[in-house]
Amino acid sequence: MAARPLLWLLPIALVLGTVYVIPVADVVRLSFSDATLLRPAESYGLSGYAAMLEARDLGVVLRNTVVFTVASVVGLQLAGLLVALLVARGDRRGLPGMTALRTIVLAAWVVPGVANGIIWQTLFSEAPFGAINSTLALIGLPRVAWLSDPEMAMVSAVLANVWQGTAFSMVVFYAARRAIDPRLYEAAEVDGARPFARFVYITLPQLKGAILVNTVLVTIQTLNTFDSILALTGGGPGRATEVLSLHIFNRVFYNYDLGGGSALALVLVAISTALTLVYIALLGRGRT
Amino acid sequence: MSPRAADRATYLVALLIAALFLVPLSWLLSLSVRTPQEVYLGAARYLPEDPTLENFRLVLTDRSFGLHLWNSLKICALGGAGAVAAAIPAAYAFSRFSFRGRTGLMVAVLLVQMVSPLVVLIPLYRYMDALGMLDTHLGVIGVYVALGVPLSVWVLKSSFDRVPRSLEEAAEIDGCGRAETLVRITLPLAGPGVAAAFILNTMMGWSQFLVPFILLTDTGKVPISVAIFNFAGSTSASTTQLLAAACLVAILPALALFVAVQRLIVRAVSGGAVRG
Repeated sequence: MAARPLLWLLPIALVLGTVYVIPVADVVRLSFSDATLLRPAESYGLSGYAAMLEARDLGVVLRNTVVFTVASVVGLQLAGLLVALLVARGDRRGLPGMTALRTIVLAAWVVPGVANGIIWQTLFSEAPFGAINSTLALIGLPRVAWLSDPEMAMVSAVLANVWQGTAFSMVVFYAARRAIDPRLYEAAEVDGARPFARFVYITLPQLKGAILVNTVLVTIQTLNTFDSILALTGGGPGRATEVLSLHIFNRVFYNYDLGGGSALALVLVAISTALTLVYIALLGRGRT
Repeated sequence: MSPRAADRATYLVALLIAALFLVPLSWLLSLSVRTPQEVYLGAARYLPEDPTLENFRLVLTDRSFGLHLWNSLKICALGGAGAVAAAIPAAYAFSRFSFRGRTGLMVAVLLVQMVSPLVVLIPLYRYMDALGMLDTHLGVIGVYVALGVPLSVWVLKSSFDRVPRSLEEAAEIDGCGRAETLVRITLPLAGPGVAAAFILNTMMGWSQFLVPFILLTDTGKVPISVAIFNFAGSTSASTTQLLAAACLVAILPALALFVAVQRLIVRAVSGGAVRG
């Protein structure tokens, strides 16, 4: 067909080029510069990277990022898998109400990140009338320092994140579970395999591809977003819940440190790119 | 375990999960209909004894709150429509033409999403500053267009794929060019896909916080997501019920759209994530 695909691709090339390609290239340039948000670069060098490595808080931030991301990804996948398998089982047995359950979980996903942070702030509130603490008090249990204790604050941030994000994993696992050939289960039943054995020897191995792909996608999403943390804890107490993306944001837009912030932003892009390459490799393997 | 007993166990776990997922939203609803006095009574008044709609009245009659809702609607709808408009020709090319690098380009479009908006906002802030576009809706809408393009391309491509080529060929025999065929034949037939892409973009835009937070400083111009964040930062315990009502009003449009198009979303997510 005599068509000029380039012409048809021009609009998205312009849009993505202006908003993604050029800015990312510019972040690379800025990371080698001494620019601040208020004045352009005057000299180039490795000072941004040096500042990045010297910063005392970087270790804390990276540790927070790893803890938050790993805990979230594990939590999101376990919760997503549980709901997906439950709904799939209900579907197979023709149980009513399963669509409602799916809708409820998806509704949490639609809540804007900032609203999510605000909602969980009212739940975790340590005032006498905070939702969880006043419930604990009603049944005679001690109050918990959900947001003022550094370690509990991280737990709280992860809980809020898992509540909101479970739907994504659920949808991915639900689709993958439905794609498993039912004959595998029939054969296992004939062989007398018990439900747990069927889960371990059929469901999990069959879902392996979906679990791997989902791990990569959920990790990238978790690394890249911080609006719910910002609204829930603001990164505190102290720096207890300040993850990498929030740290970059603070550095660039509050401290005006464009060089150091750009160097860190590149670290974020590098991690995402590495994970993306894994994702492509997984997809490629799935096709063959 | 008999199948019947297993069904009961399924329901038990399902109820537990449903409760866990409903508690945060129902707590928000509970707070939003309380009087300040009942807010101080905590979980004991999960079901308020003296429910009131006063908080919603105050929020909805507040002029600046209405302005924020309008800002959100404007930015999201225009950004969503812009993304669909930019994506249509590309999605059509990916669906109908065969050319070198087609698959690679399609994957590249998808991969753009892996870059955090935060990263590109660092230089974009400077560009917009230089162009005098900081604090303008146009600048924010431009970024929303780019954020919506990847998903739009994929949703539109798959809906173009479902339009039979034979219908287009008939139009071509009648002398229609490619572009004319697209506008006259393919687009109307792919209407549901176009609507789905637009709605998905609008919903994503509604949740977007970082882009307007960074690019807009004039409080009269910010969308609802930024407005409730600012409100949350300025409130005290005595206005918790107002914050809850505002928060709920901010969530409801997204929730309503979502309930209307749930099936489309499930298809878009599972189609994009677990291909192959």
